[in-house]
Amino acid sequence: MCPVMMASPILVLLAVGAPVLAGLASMVLPGRRTLARPLVAAVGPVLALVLLTIHLQRHGLSTNGTPTDALAWVPSLHLDVSFLVDGLGTFFALLIAGVGVLVVLYSRAFFGPDDTALARFLPTLGFFTSAMLGIVLADHLLLTVLFWEMTSISSFLLIGWDRDDPEAGRRALQAFVTTGLGGLSLLGGVLLLGGTTDLWRWSEVIGGAATLDPSGAVAASFALMFAGAAAKSAQWPLHDWLPGAMRAPTPVSAYLHSATMVKAGVFLVGRMLPVFGVLAAWVPLVTAIGTSTMILGAVLALRQHDLKRIFAYTTVSQLGLLIATYGMGGATTSHGDPAIDWDLTQIANHALYKAPLFLVAGALGVLAGAKRLPDLFGLWRRSRSGTRASLLVLLLAGYALAGGPGTLSFVAKELFFDAVRHAADGRPVLALVGAGGVIAAACNVAIFVRLATTILGRGPGLRSDEAPNAPTNSGPITDRWSILLWLPAALLVALQYVGGLLPPVWNAAARPLEVNRHAEAFADGLPWPWEPFLHPGLPLLLSAIAIVGGTALGLSPRLRGERIDPHSGLWPAAYRGILRGGHRAFHSVQTGHLRLYLTVVFGALLLGIGWAAWINPDMLSTPDSMSPLESPTGLLLGAVVCSTAIALPLVEERVVRVLVLGASGFAVVGLYILYQAPDLALTQLMFEIISVILFLLVLRLLPPLDRRPQVRVLPRLALASVVGLSIGWMTLLAGHAAEQRASDTPTLGTFFEDHSLEGSVITNGRGGEGRNIVNVILVDFRGFDTLGEITVLATAALGVWSMLPSRRWLRDEPVQSATTEDGP
Amino acid sequence: MRPFLRRTRWPVGGPIGGTSSVILRTAVRLILPLTFLFAVYAALKGHNGPGGGFIAGLVASVGLCTYRMSYGYQAFHRLVPLHPRWLVFIGLGLAVGVAALPLAAGNPVLRSAATSIHLGNADLHLVSSTAFDLGVLMVVVGVAIGMISRLDEEAER
Amino acid sequence: MTTVLAVCVAVLVTVSIYLMLSRELKSVAMGVFVLGHGANLAIIAMSGSPVLPGGGLRNPPILGSSDLVDALPQALILTAIVINFAVMGFLLTLLIVTARRTGTLNVDELATLGRSNPGPEGDDR
Repeated sequence: MCPVMMASPILVLLAVGAPVLAGLASMVLPGRRTLARPLVAAVGPVLALVLLTIHLQRHGLSTNGTPTDALAWVPSLHLDVSFLVDGLGTFFALLIAGVGVLVVLYSRAFFGPDDTALARFLPTLGFFTSAMLGIVLADHLLLTVLFWEMTSISSFLLIGWDRDDPEAGRRALQAFVTTGLGGLSLLGGVLLLGGTTDLWRWSEVIGGAATLDPSGAVAASFALMFAGAAAKSAQWPLHDWLPGAMRAPTPVSAYLHSATMVKAGVFLVGRMLPVFGVLAAWVPLVTAIGTSTMILGAVLALRQHDLKRIFAYTTVSQLGLLIATYGMGGATTSHGDPAIDWDLTQIANHALYKAPLFLVAGALGVLAGAKRLPDLFGLWRRSRSGTRASLLVLLLAGYALAGGPGTLSFVAKELFFDAVRHAADGRPVLALVGAGGVIAAACNVAIFVRLATTILGRGPGLRSDEAPNAPTNSGPITDRWSILLWLPAALLVALQYVGGLLPPVWNAAARPLEVNRHAEAFADGLPWPWEPFLHPGLPLLLSAIAIVGGTALGLSPRLRGERIDPHSGLWPAAYRGILRGGHRAFHSVQTGHLRLYLTVVFGALLLGIGWAAWINPDMLSTPDSMSPLESPTGLLLGAVVCSTAIALPLVEERVVRVLVLGASGFAVVGLYILYQAPDLALTQLMFEIISVILFLLVLRLLPPLDRRPQVRVLPRLALASVVGLSIGWMTLLAGHAAEQRASDTPTLGTFFEDHSLEGSVITNGRGGEGRNIVNVILVDFRGFDTLGEITVLATAALGVWSMLPSRRWLRDEPVQSATTEDGP
Repeated sequence: MRPFLRRTRWPVGGPIGGTSSVILRTAVRLILPLTFLFAVYAALKGHNGPGGGFIAGLVASVGLCTYRMSYGYQAFHRLVPLHPRWLVFIGLGLAVGVAALPLAAGNPVLRSAATSIHLGNADLHLVSSTAFDLGVLMVVVGVAIGMISRLDEEAER
Repeated sequence: MTTVLAVCVAVLVTVSIYLMLSRELKSVAMGVFVLGHGANLAIIAMSGSPVLPGGGLRNPPILGSSDLVDALPQALILTAIVINFAVMGFLLTLLIVTARRTGTLNVDELATLGRSNPGPEGDDR
């Protein structure tokens, strides 16, 4: 327990990895095991909880920002695996793993006896859980980004769960692109921060927050990181992906899109608060985005009929509230404390009522076929015990959503309004946040009132115009594990009421984790449910306004009926724009015209050579001591090469053309001989023979020459001759440079010559053991190159065989094997 | 050049394809063993004199390809009873194996080892690179005859 | 000797580019083939002239004699020749398949083949 001792990261690493490993283990279970699979998968989060507890017992909570030891991973990037198990991270880890267990169990009931769905679902969920645990526990900034992207990927997989639903695919793509771009923005911010300050760990960054220069690069990196967090947490104007993500199966909606993943952005903002809270931009930016999201989500939630979409928009609203809470954390009260209190309780509160709402909404879909609010009308009276239990949980959770007295949610509202009051002391503008909070709370109350009146079937609830379109004919797919449809939700809701009615229990659990405890009113912990009424103040007044106004709104016929989110057009328009732009950009570069490409390529080549000549005009002066006549044989061979080459385009008959090609090649063989390259000459000779065969074979298979008018000759010839002359000139210069080289100039050639047979000190006494230097280079000095080359050969041959599959070799295979395969 | 190009086809599904030129066939029959002999010589001699895997492979391929062109598929199949892809795979595997073998001894990839064998008064100097070269040879032969044979088959149809 | 080589390279490259710019894919393939020759000859120019200043030739790069020519360009070209062979086989097969699928080897017609599709769609599904 010595605080100086560094903690080992192994336990935390195992805790992070446990869910995905358990998920994979559940996948490979053989046969049909609809119960064993969820149980095995549930071991993962449970194990994560246990391991984390052991770690906390051994090393305690990291209160002074001390991370665990680091496991080296990519030392060249300073990237290593270390964890920061502080209050914020631990709280989130407990939330993720805890809800994770319940969601795994719930998924057993939700998917019913569909074993293949479970086998596919549980590993993906485990992957997500691990990634999420990684985000909240990682100490290294890049590690956070890595896990961040992994949650985006798993979210994509889970939203697009229904492979036959194109809308699900679209929504998955939208969520992935939005949060993935946010992740890129986060990466940019992290790199910018790390690059300018050389601080790569949260522990270092938080510890060195006072020394940061609050301008320029640091402010820019804050903006980038906040954009990433806002995209993940569905803040306005990027929130549209979250309601869309409701296409996912309900366990996913409950877990990823209300309780955990969308909270990753909130978590990140919480992590950033000690670092960037002092920036001038923090309070206005974070609070404004949070507040507008809060109001927008709440109002839009009223205008939805689909249960999951209602809860999705209230989630958007609540996420805005959480972000605004952290935004106000950058402001100071009149005592000089940050205006933020019990923020983790605020987060837990939301998870504890929102996850049950989703879980029960899914359960009602399974049990009663009710997915929309009108389907619920009078459902209480016409349903049996299982459905009634679900409805009861729904109402209890809805009461918490409304923030009624006796729930944790009520206290959380008090905390929020209290923080607003303190923050507004220093900055009166922040009173607007309080006003927004009242509006949002009133909308939540109204939603609860509508839910209750609809379900209980009395009063002006939402009446369905037509009969509920419940799939009554098929009946619910339930078995004895259907109790799991509402039991996990009931457990979570129970915690809401524990927190609200028995605050000492909550205080004992949450106080060690809460870092931000400043206000005197809550210094001792959360109050008993009756205490706010004994000391009425502004928070209570605001709560009362919200409850009264919300009830009135819920009972009134105003703001009813479905309304489409005006932001829902943003994504399709952006997506279409990206596709169009990409299409246009692609086709303006890739025209498909070979001549254009070639012209560009050779034009670039000419530009390069011209640039070199411009820098060094000596290139253009004629080298001295050139004697073309030193070898008459060479002159003759050169003449043959040139004349056959020139004849090539002039010959029309294709066979003659091939033979001219061959003749040109054979003249090249002569040149190689003259250049004292026997290996080359032999290779070229064989190559020419095979090439001529190859060309003759292929030409028979190709359509005859197109006799229509050719491309204009003059421009072609102009480009070709300019390039040809340039290359020829370069060749002349290269050869001349080689000739003028002093004999003692060290070249690679002399190195190979010296070491071809025997080694020297440079090569540790090892030589190539061969006298043919060319061959030694090929198989020894540059053996890797040759290995790559024969791989290219093999690949080319495979390409030929796959493009022209042989019927004959197949036919020669034993026939019986084919017949057995064709059998039934 | 004409007889080489214009073939008299056997009836469809006939026993052999190939050209009807007797001169060419006879020449090829004479040339084939010579190319093989030369290929073996070039492969073994390659480390110390002109030659090597590429050259040996191409020489053998020329022999085999002309044989394939003049005698047709059936005869060729009797001569090379397995699909050329096996030559490619085995050659590639051999080369990779020789390249990776030094790793087992903790040496860098492709480090060559040499040994001398005394056979009577002849002194045979063996270098591991020769095995590598053999792999190269097989790949080259496999690729060349694989491609030519495939295209010839296509042309015969 | 280098001068002769340089002229050969110039002619080979000119012819090859001229062929590659034609409308017929067969000519393009031949252009690629000829370009290989040109490039190889350009590389071997790096080893300088094989003719000794006092007349007579250098020796091939096989140990045992003096005045050897530079072996490195030769090794590079040897590799290039064999690769060239594989690439030619692949390219020609590609031509066969293209001719069978599209019925044409005209570069311009092939370029306009893909044009018939309606263009960008808002959604790829």
